[in-house]
Amino acid sequence: MKRYGMTLMVVFGILALMGLLMPSPAPAARVVKIGVIYPLTGGAAAAGRELRAGAELAAEIANGVMADLPMTMAKNSGIKSLGGAKIKLIFKDHEGNPTLGADLAKKLILDDKVDGILGCYHSSVTKTVSAVCEQYGVPMINGTSTSPALTKRGFKWFWRTTPHDRWFTKDLFELLKGLTEGKVRGVKAVPKKDIINLASACEKTEWGSHVSRLIEGLAKEYGFKLRKSLLYAAKAADLSSEVRSLKAARPDVMLFASYTSDAILMVKTLKAQKANPKIIWGQDAGFEKPEFRNTLGGDIVGILTRTVFLPKVVEIKAIAGKVNALYKKKTGNDLGGASARAFTGLQTWVHVLEKAGSTKPADIQKAANSIKIPGKELVVPWAGIKFSTSGEELGQNVLGSGLIGQYQKGKDGKVGLEIVYPFDVSSADMIFPFPGY
Amino acid sequence: MEVLRNALDFSDFPRVDLCVAALVASFLLIFPLFHFSSFAMATMIQFLMFSLYGMGWNTIGGYGGQVDLGKAQYVGIGAYTTSVMLIRWDVPFWVSMPVGMSFAVLWSFIIGYPLFRLKGHYFAIATIATSLVLKDLFEVWDFVGAARGLEISPIKYHPPDFLRLIFKEDVYYYYVILGFFFLGIFYVNWFRKSRLGFQLRSIKDNEDVARSLGINVHWAKVKTYAIATAFVSLVGSFHACYIKNIEPEDTMSLDISILIALMAMLGGAGSLWGPIIGAGVLIPLKSYLKEWLGAKAGLVGIDLIIYAVIIMLISAVEPRGIWGIVEKARRRRSV
Amino acid sequence: MDILVGSLAAGILIGMVLALVAIGLTIIFGVMDIVNFAHGEFLMIGMYTGLLTAQGMGIDPLFTLPFAAVVGFLLGVICYYGFVKFLLRGPMVAQLLGTFGLMLFLRNVALLVFGSEDRAVHSGILVGRSFEVGMGVVIPATKLAAAGLSVVAFVTVWMLMNRTKVGKALTATALNSQGARYMGIPTDRMNALAWGIGAASVTIAGALIVNFWSVNPFVGLLFTMIAFAIVALGGFGSVPGAFFAGLVVGIITEIPGIWDFFTYTFNLDWMSRVPMTSFKYMWVYLAYFVIMVVRPRGLFGWKY
Repeated sequence: MKRYGMTLMVVFGILALMGLLMPSPAPAARVVKIGVIYPLTGGAAAAGRELRAGAELAAEIANGVMADLPMTMAKNSGIKSLGGAKIKLIFKDHEGNPTLGADLAKKLILDDKVDGILGCYHSSVTKTVSAVCEQYGVPMINGTSTSPALTKRGFKWFWRTTPHDRWFTKDLFELLKGLTEGKVRGVKAVPKKDIINLASACEKTEWGSHVSRLIEGLAKEYGFKLRKSLLYAAKAADLSSEVRSLKAARPDVMLFASYTSDAILMVKTLKAQKANPKIIWGQDAGFEKPEFRNTLGGDIVGILTRTVFLPKVVEIKAIAGKVNALYKKKTGNDLGGASARAFTGLQTWVHVLEKAGSTKPADIQKAANSIKIPGKELVVPWAGIKFSTSGEELGQNVLGSGLIGQYQKGKDGKVGLEIVYPFDVSSADMIFPFPGY
Repeated sequence: MEVLRNALDFSDFPRVDLCVAALVASFLLIFPLFHFSSFAMATMIQFLMFSLYGMGWNTIGGYGGQVDLGKAQYVGIGAYTTSVMLIRWDVPFWVSMPVGMSFAVLWSFIIGYPLFRLKGHYFAIATIATSLVLKDLFEVWDFVGAARGLEISPIKYHPPDFLRLIFKEDVYYYYVILGFFFLGIFYVNWFRKSRLGFQLRSIKDNEDVARSLGINVHWAKVKTYAIATAFVSLVGSFHACYIKNIEPEDTMSLDISILIALMAMLGGAGSLWGPIIGAGVLIPLKSYLKEWLGAKAGLVGIDLIIYAVIIMLISAVEPRGIWGIVEKARRRRSV
Repeated sequence: MDILVGSLAAGILIGMVLALVAIGLTIIFGVMDIVNFAHGEFLMIGMYTGLLTAQGMGIDPLFTLPFAAVVGFLLGVICYYGFVKFLLRGPMVAQLLGTFGLMLFLRNVALLVFGSEDRAVHSGILVGRSFEVGMGVVIPATKLAAAGLSVVAFVTVWMLMNRTKVGKALTATALNSQGARYMGIPTDRMNALAWGIGAASVTIAGALIVNFWSVNPFVGLLFTMIAFAIVALGGFGSVPGAFFAGLVVGIITEIPGIWDFFTYTFNLDWMSRVPMTSFKYMWVYLAYFVIMVVRPRGLFGWKY
């Protein structure tokens, strides 16, 4: 009888044991701990790997000395104003799950006693994580989530370096406007009636439904007709009914906000259904991933995507080339939108810490609110980093900007992204109209 | 009085069980004094929440033998009612929670009535279907934030706020859910000895016999389904205040439904302690496996593989779950 | 009009493909009364088999079907003898739990081995081909091939179940496994055979589907759900039922297109504002729920 009571006790005792076995954080001198929460497994694991590599590279550069890199953080070993303290990244995996993200944030703050947090890619996860940070008064810098709502919540401990979707969507309409005015390199002015009809298909969760609304609002503002606007499930097995619905609206321009697998499926279905709009534009994410290009190969020539970084930036920005070379040595891939922004996010952390000269949250808050990083420090083609401290949006970087790239066949026969917007940095003639598959 | 005495009367359990239960209960009561990590605290809250979900599931799924894989819809109804009422009209938790429960129970009657015409696998899959339908509706319903969900702003309230259940430290949440946990145990203890409880078990054993004894089988099932729903909705309301962010994709996903059923089935469906044991094993296992193995480069998914193997082993070795193993051993000893 | 015809045509095509996915589930269920949560994972493995053999051996993805069938059959038999056999002793609860564990296991092993990236085939006889049949209706060649194969598979399985000795033994096991055992039918081997055939047919579907959809370790669950709906609609265990239910589900997923047709025909503004595509799969579940409640054994079911 007793023994089975013991069995029960063991079962319940697991709880207690696991609590006891938790490693207690060892106090180490001269280390600044940054908790990094990314989707390392789950559906977005590929993006998570890129993000992790980007942040790790930035930490390596900050902790070591690389004289040939024209970056402030490469000159010193560690954080100078903190006596050369090294950056230590603690990675956590949120699997794209907002609830798990909030738990991890609590754990990082209370158990690992991190000085700050970086993350989290999915806007929905960033939302819960930043709420936890706000409650505990721990600074958080976000480099990759683009839902406009995130910085409109009046949070005092949340800063975002990346421009958000309103920016990017506006870029698109600027490009369309530019097309009608003949500003686009290699394309003669197009009469507006030729590209006036739009149709959009966005995935139906937080991010996509926001983008869908933005497109609706901006179309009105710029005088375009949105003939069809639909939301679809990103996990759908088949998108042919969606594509036929888009086709039936006879749009000149098709706009998408898609994650990776649905972006691939969408383009395949467009091709199978012989849909031939004049412009296809994707809102980053799926349209920018290496898999998108690898899977679809030559079919995507002519497709536009917004992004913040593409390999061609290297040609207009020397510093980006050097960092890209380091990144390629580390991972074998070129920097992409995700990794470049993760890099910039951590870089911003280094600058903020350097300026604060302390790891007290209040000092970091003050430093972040007054920081100004010039554009020449950054790999991304922005004017710099400076956070808004008043008005409707708190903590949003006001100097960021987006790019619109177009997939084109390079001289080596490989398909890659060329810059077509902003007009003054465009790297190639734009292909217009969309040439078909 | 009779009800209360029945609820507090555990005398039909062996003394060993009661000793262990008392030990565990006192451990749960003083757990926060140990000051384990916040991760352990979050895991414990999860454990208590899922125990309650499991207890609710157990009434219909365990005692009644109707495998329900659609509990997430009631988590959603509870969580959404509380969030919407708090955000829009500043209604405190203690008011919105019963309101949410009533909505959930109402909905359970609406779908439960036709649902219980089905049996076995048909029933199980139909519950999944209803849950997914409701989730799809919430994803386009603008009043409740559509797919973007709802967030209870952490800066608008002043913790600790006992009326709205907004706290900064987890320990407050811990004791609130622990209170519900004990109430839940007492309730189920009463339930299993109630008229309905006995009716249900006879239905599980043989429906035709139960019917011939004059039991209104359909009505008994629908009633129990509503009871299970009330449990789940209550924890859903708590979930809204604890997590402070709800989205259809997250709160009403199929994973939650399946996890709820999994806990109870693994622990031992149809026994009082089963769902608690199930949650007590699976939740820490999942959390800590992920903690130790999850972030290891090159071994993505290894934690879930181990987790899956344990589920498979238990289901193959002892179909009645962990509690089944305990009981079997006990029986063998007494022979 | 072309929208309507296009939608119906696409619905029928996709319905046949979905029916092919569901047939394996209905065999397994029919013979041994077990709901297999890991069904979508078998499909995923079939997709990876098709993809990897095509890429590894440099052959057209269309010719990988035999490999997929072999892999699927072995997988099914191994799963049966190694695991599912032990589940049969327990109640339905334990079976659900067990196959759910199997699903998690297969999915995460795939994640560990293949990584989480989406992969797809780039070339092949049929890949990317499609032809117009008039009235603006475009039919992708891969889907047409899949639909054709679906019909072949259904006829084969039906013949197997109804015209051969083995099939009759399978059916006998399904109807009354104890009785079948007394008649000298090795029910254990019959169960294994059902798992082998069921798994093989779904991996074939996977190898075919990979021609037009990309694969990652998480694709399974959605297909499992749809296959459940199809099998239950048609009646658990009914082979022709699964086929017709597949068509029904295929057409239901095209409701947004049909809605579009009415929107444009009557030019109604409010209709264009209904977010029909968000509800795509909701109609499937709703139809399932309604039909089940009205007719609990499904359209063609004989088991209840």
